Amino acid sequence: MKLFSTPADRKNVELLRQLDVFRDLSFNEALELDELLHERVFEKGEIVFEKGDMGHGIFVVISGKVRVDPCGELFKDAVLEFGPGEMLGELSLFEEAPRFTTVIAVERTVVVALFRAEFSTLLTKNTKIGAKVLMRLCTTMSQRFRRLLLRERHSPSL
Amino acid sequence: MIVTILVTCLALFLFQKIIWLVVPSLLALMIYYCLRPLVERLVFRGVRHGMAVTGTVSVVLLITIAIVFVSAPFLLIRIGQLQNTVDHYFGGGQNLLRKTIQALEEAIPALKGASLGLKVDLQIQEFTTHFADRYLGKLLLQLLEWLPSLFLVPYLTYFLLKDSTRFKKFLIRSIPNAFFEKSLLLFARLDESLRSFFQGLLVLTFLDTLCLAMGLLVLGVSPAFLLGLIAAVLAWIPYLGSAIGCIMVVLVAATDFPNHPSVAYSCLALFLCVRLLDDYVFLPLTIGRKLHIHPLLTVLMFFLGATVAGGTGLVLALPVLGVVAAVAGIVAEVLTDRRLRFRYQAARALVAASARSQPHQLPPIAEP
Repeated sequence: MKLFSTPADRKNVELLRQLDVFRDLSFNEALELDELLHERVFEKGEIVFEKGDMGHGIFVVISGKVRVDPCGELFKDAVLEFGPGEMLGELSLFEEAPRFTTVIAVERTVVVALFRAEFSTLLTKNTKIGAKVLMRLCTTMSQRFRRLLLRERHSPSL
Repeated sequence: MIVTILVTCLALFLFQKIIWLVVPSLLALMIYYCLRPLVERLVFRGVRHGMAVTGTVSVVLLITIAIVFVSAPFLLIRIGQLQNTVDHYFGGGQNLLRKTIQALEEAIPALKGASLGLKVDLQIQEFTTHFADRYLGKLLLQLLEWLPSLFLVPYLTYFLLKDSTRFKKFLIRSIPNAFFEKSLLLFARLDESLRSFFQGLLVLTFLDTLCLAMGLLVLGVSPAFLLGLIAAVLAWIPYLGSAIGCIMVVLVAATDFPNHPSVAYSCLALFLCVRLLDDYVFLPLTIGRKLHIHPLLTVLMFFLGATVAGGTGLVLALPVLGVVAAVAGIVAEVLTDRRLRFRYQAARALVAASARSQPHQLPPIAEP
């Protein structure tokens, strides 16, 4: 028997594995990772994070949609909406710095959050899972950066 | 700070009622932080988390059971002779004190007129005669009451190791979105502080035991290692524990070397040296000064703890104050952030406005 677990655990894990950032994980690995993820529900119009907040982790959209507050020259060509499977705030997973934009839920949105301290623990404790997630994160960031350099319409790194 | 002290007093008062649960919980928390690196190392080597926890707790439990079985006959004999042993060592202490006062009276003639030696002698005689009736029985009964609850320690430790992440997640689920990220950070800091405190405490106990045992060995006081270990463990209770440990070793030295008071004085000096080493070398190297509490507050808390919860309050006052101060710090830091408070109020208004009534379930993800 597992304390504090919900019957929906198995289903949640399968859902996690469909997300781009966690797609390389096996079921058992996703199960381990699931213990570190925090699910949050944001109502329409609710702030996910705000410009100037100290960033401490990433958010991956499970369902719904969020909008990035268009601020500065950087995002003028960017797609400013993030949907299921996309991640937000990935820069703060590697650096404790203020968020440089505000993200608001456009509709009722479910996200999972991976906190920097827990990600660090994962990297040292379970390197296999950590490396897989890290690789996926780097790929996404690299794609976003490339598009930014090429000035394509893209989802910005936040 | 006043709120923290009041909450600590209230907690001590409540803890006194459930002491059978508080002591094993504190011990389990300490063992959890000490065993966690072992479990993490096993997981790092590819062992599943559940297996790693079960294996680690089983091995530690088996070792503990073996130690208890080996030392049980010796302990039972000692407990049977406790009254005689106490009288024996108090007699030694009384002898040392008498000699010390005599020496003082010889050195300072003014003290002779005050008949200090006679008064102190009478007081000690009174204390040792009634010690068994007044305190020893009570102490043994309390110990017997506590012992069964110690069986909870491995059980609690096992579940802390196995499900602490789930428990933390369960707690954090109740925190509103606005405070979530900051609360997570503060939780991580608290966890890190507790981890470094308990692991540091273990290293500090080892260093203290080593220094005291080496010193006592040199002085010829035996059993050096056991005395060092007991004194080092007693030092977990700040100030008071160190003093009790010191008195215990001095009594043993005074009894074993009745004609050489210098050995007892040397033990006192040894304790002072180890205390200084602790404060200026070992503490900064192990625990650091993360849970530093002002000495004035420490004394105040001893008095308040003893008044509110008797002996239990005296022992638990500082650990409870440390935990309450850390949690109060988190709550204060989160709640005094105006930006987060406004965001929370806005979110509440949004929730109230939404017509949602069904409990949340994760919807399926759209195929890319």
